[in-house]
Amino acid sequence: MQSSLQIKNLQLFRQKEELLSLNEHVNGGDILTIMGPSGSGKSSLLNWLIGTLPTGFSARGEVFLNNNNISELPAHLRHIGVLYQDPLLFSHLSVAGNIAFAMPKGNKKLRLEKIDNALAQIGLAGMANRHPDNLSGGQQARVALLRMLLSEPKAILLDEPFSKLDAQLREDTRELVFSQIRTYKLPAIMVTHDNSDAHAANGKLVTLKTAV
Amino acid sequence: MTVASKIEPLVYKSIPPSRYSWFARIVKLSPQLLLTLLIIPVLAGLVFVLLPAFGWAPALDQTQLSFDGFIAISNTPGITHMIALSMFSGLVSTFIAFLITIMILAVFFTSSWLHTIERLLSPILVIPHAAAAIAVGFLIAPSGMISRLISPWLSQWEMAPNGIFPYDPYGISIIIGLTLKELPFLLLMALGVLAQPELGKKLRSQHKVALNLGYCPLTAFFKVVLPSLYPLMRLPILAVLAYASASVEMPLILGPNTPATLAVTIMQWFNDVDLNLRIQASAGAILQLIITCILLLIWLGGEKLCHVFFRDSLTNGVRDHGGAFWQKITVVITTFVISFILLSLVGLILWSFAGFWRFPNALPEQFVLLHYTQALMQMGDALFNTVFIGISATFLAIAITLLCLEAEQLDNKPLSRITSLIIYLPLLVPSIAFLFGLVWLQQLIAHQAAFFSVVFSHLLFVLPYVFLSLASSYRRLDPRFSQVAASLGAPPSKVFFQIKLPQLFAPILIAAALGLAISFGQYLPTLLASGGRVSTITTEAVALANGASRRTSAVYAIIQMVLPFIGFIIAWVLPKYFFKSARA
Amino acid sequence: MPQCNGNKKMVQYCLFYIALSFFSHLTFANMANTQKSTERWQQIEHHARLQTVYFHAWGGDPQINSYIQWVAKQVNEKYQINLVHVKLADTSEAVSRVLAEKAADNNTQGSVDLIWINGANFATMSEHSLLLSQWANYLPNFKYTDPNNNPAVTYDFGIATNGMESPWGQSSLTFYYDSATIKTPPETLNALLKWSENNPGRFSYPKPSDYLGMSFLKYALTVLHQHSSDEIKNQLNQVVNAKTKDKILAPLWQFLDTLHPTLWRKGSHFMQSSAQMRRLIDDTELSLAFTFSSAEIPAAVARYDLIPSIRSYAMADGSLSNTHFVAIPYNASHAPGAQVVANFLLSPAAQAYKQRPEVWGDKTVLIQHTLAPKQQALFTHHNTHPSALPIDAIKRTLNEPHPSWVKAIQMGWQARYGVSQ
Repeated sequence: MQSSLQIKNLQLFRQKEELLSLNEHVNGGDILTIMGPSGSGKSSLLNWLIGTLPTGFSARGEVFLNNNNISELPAHLRHIGVLYQDPLLFSHLSVAGNIAFAMPKGNKKLRLEKIDNALAQIGLAGMANRHPDNLSGGQQARVALLRMLLSEPKAILLDEPFSKLDAQLREDTRELVFSQIRTYKLPAIMVTHDNSDAHAANGKLVTLKTAV
Repeated sequence: MTVASKIEPLVYKSIPPSRYSWFARIVKLSPQLLLTLLIIPVLAGLVFVLLPAFGWAPALDQTQLSFDGFIAISNTPGITHMIALSMFSGLVSTFIAFLITIMILAVFFTSSWLHTIERLLSPILVIPHAAAAIAVGFLIAPSGMISRLISPWLSQWEMAPNGIFPYDPYGISIIIGLTLKELPFLLLMALGVLAQPELGKKLRSQHKVALNLGYCPLTAFFKVVLPSLYPLMRLPILAVLAYASASVEMPLILGPNTPATLAVTIMQWFNDVDLNLRIQASAGAILQLIITCILLLIWLGGEKLCHVFFRDSLTNGVRDHGGAFWQKITVVITTFVISFILLSLVGLILWSFAGFWRFPNALPEQFVLLHYTQALMQMGDALFNTVFIGISATFLAIAITLLCLEAEQLDNKPLSRITSLIIYLPLLVPSIAFLFGLVWLQQLIAHQAAFFSVVFSHLLFVLPYVFLSLASSYRRLDPRFSQVAASLGAPPSKVFFQIKLPQLFAPILIAAALGLAISFGQYLPTLLASGGRVSTITTEAVALANGASRRTSAVYAIIQMVLPFIGFIIAWVLPKYFFKSARA
Repeated sequence: MPQCNGNKKMVQYCLFYIALSFFSHLTFANMANTQKSTERWQQIEHHARLQTVYFHAWGGDPQINSYIQWVAKQVNEKYQINLVHVKLADTSEAVSRVLAEKAADNNTQGSVDLIWINGANFATMSEHSLLLSQWANYLPNFKYTDPNNNPAVTYDFGIATNGMESPWGQSSLTFYYDSATIKTPPETLNALLKWSENNPGRFSYPKPSDYLGMSFLKYALTVLHQHSSDEIKNQLNQVVNAKTKDKILAPLWQFLDTLHPTLWRKGSHFMQSSAQMRRLIDDTELSLAFTFSSAEIPAAVARYDLIPSIRSYAMADGSLSNTHFVAIPYNASHAPGAQVVANFLLSPAAQAYKQRPEVWGDKTVLIQHTLAPKQQALFTHHNTHPSALPIDAIKRTLNEPHPSWVKAIQMGWQARYGVSQ
């Protein structure tokens, strides 16, 4: 069965004012890009999707993940992975600790092996015991990606994940993220300001307007 | 912008180079001043307790070093009982307060309830210990509010029954009192850490990441937020532990007296008419110091143990540690704690207006203003002293703190670990261990300047709290503002006064309110440093709590609460008002 | 330095008076005495002008505090003295203060000018020479106490005051009870024991480091020896003799062993203070209690602190009585001012005002026959409160044992009952 993320008849409100309405279907491996000026409701949309809509906002509509309605599920049961602007690595844990944190529980030794392999795959071999603060920006971004992927999400949200990286790094990291999304055939939604991101995503583009 | 650029060169020119260096010199000296202000009194106080403890007390015609004081202590009936009671009540109350704080934070971390709880609990912070003890005692006594609410319809009690609380031999009443009093302090300290813009945002985002990774909110808090939060809460926790192990008011009012806790007993020895007991009391103060140290070490040891024990479980991938169950338990505990406190406050307010109020009536027979009118008539001087001393001590504390923090930024290196530890010295050394010595010292230096002595003694306790509450905000100021200002040609003094201080407006006000609250609540330092010649609302309240009616005590307790409250309200309202006008 | 001169002068006067007192029966000496003392007193009053006198006195009772405020107003009008009441939670705080000053070699600039004191605190201060002596007996108003025939004003718990203390008031151990729950209160120590056995948990006494708790034990000890030989009774008025101590205290411990299991909290916890006892009566946890200042009972009812059904009475087997005093520390900064205040406290007007039940109700130390009829008239009062101790309720008074017994009783009590199981 192909995985999918479906947004049905969404209407987002700030207080009583409507921010946006949306009806979208994203198949596994596809990346839906959402662009729009600040205040158009991009981050509220992401917050709604992951189940942490702040007070003051309200929504009507439903979200289906692999045809299961997850609209009423609390955040931690939704299995949606998110990559933020900042890598947000846990500074009280090592690189390996950060990744282990995200992985499902299981045999300690197998998990460590899996971490080492995964790190090697993205060019971070031997960094397992480093402290995340000692990594470069690009390395941190890759660890964050790995952490998200190894938590075995069923869909992925990208919240301007490359905006803090410089041009070359941005391209490489983007490449890596998109290739992983395609490899794992996960539905993904990306919010961005950057046209090149949208272009690279090579999927449907939705442009939001500022709420009136 | 245009206005600013017009004024800028003018102001710059008006500052002569001499004033520039004057500022820098003061700033550079301030850390030494801070350390001198804190170390000398505490150390000198300790020395002047140590000497009599080992038998050197010329005033009592004792100049031979001996262990008589310690021998007398070891021969005191029930001494092990006293020590055990002190240790047990101190450790358990701190642990419970810590646990509930963490549970509340964990369960309500992302909920708007957190601020409601904060708002409901923070008033407790400013209630002096003695008043809180009286309020708690009234709630749990056999004739207390709880007992009245179920009598006689449920309990059949026409007269107050024989009870266990307060004064129970195991110190459970003390633990209840201390826990309720320390819980809001720890919670506010933790929230203060989370209120730091950078750190707070980081921890909240990381918590969200953990949720995205499938962790239930409670587990996410324990595995992601707590490890970063705890190191910043350690000193307040240790201060609470040190205080709880050596506090006098709570055990005096709520604790058993056959025997009492060690600190209470020492206090009574110090105040005994038999002056020779003072040798024994000084030895007791040293013993108290050792016990407090042991407790701090036990706590730190427990920390290490927890670290070793839970290190692996942080990353074992388990995501749902009893989520719903603990959530419910915490909600129940929080509700219980808050209703307990509210009921105590209701009791306090009822007493302050009560006419005749016989058991088992849940309400007084009549409400009267007599207790207020009588109290207010006698309160004038005390009220003035309280406010004046509070403002003086707080102002000094804030000035020194700001200068020290500025020195840290000018030198571009943080205060050494030892310096940071010394700032908390007056909170970590039990006051009963050094205050009596300090008074002997003050006698030598300035025995007529009672007012100065009191302000100085208060400063000792106000300073750490002010530093605690200001340091993080100051250190997290975005340095780019100062850099921008400096690049525009502003000297450090101008950056300090015109860039940093305005940005710190809100934190400074909160620190000031906290400083005032701490100063308002000081009993022992006020009494001892002034020789009783300077009366404040708190000294009056404690004297009355020992003597007169619960009704008058209630009035004083309420006034004690209202005073710092005014401070906090100002601290909350002013910045909002300013920000509003800035936005408009 | 004027302080030192003053002290020296004082000593000279003292020697002079001691010498004079041998000839006091001679008329010319009396005249000289009167003249000299008038002169001397005028000088003291002169020095006292504009002085600020710090009066360290227990501050736990609003009525007493108001009375001291009234005194402050009077001495300000009459002598331009600024009297400041330093409210103590415990008198020993002031004792420690003076001691600390002595330790710091502060012998002239003391912070305590006048102190409300008696019994053990006085014994301690006089033992450590912390008090100014030979001044109280020269106060002009001291004559109204009839000192030659009234040991109550020259002895404090059996210790001669040597002019170190000026008497202020008198108090007796008074019992009170809730008449809504008790019809006939116990009137003897034995009856009290029986009553407590029948009403378990409704009586107790403050822990004996407390003044009032100790007073109850002294009352019990004295009553238990009422039928003992005179030799034993006399020992209670003397310094404790280590040999006979145990024998004398034995009946007390025997009595307490029976009493304690019947007490509030089964005798495993004792009240911290007399005020707490009053609160517990109001809470109906206790039904019977006692106090050393009988006037506080009606006053507490008037302030709603006690229920109106409270009644006061005196024990038929005797009421422990004592005098309380004011003293001046040896290093007081404002000794002349303090003396003038002490003299005012002894004046018929101040004593009469103090004895009014609605003011304080503290019994005067003045002896009526020394007063002029007009002054005597000041002391007549009307309409007593139903909760007040009826006039002439005290049938017999019991003298305080020697202060050294306090320590003996306390040590014994602490060892026996200080640590409950």
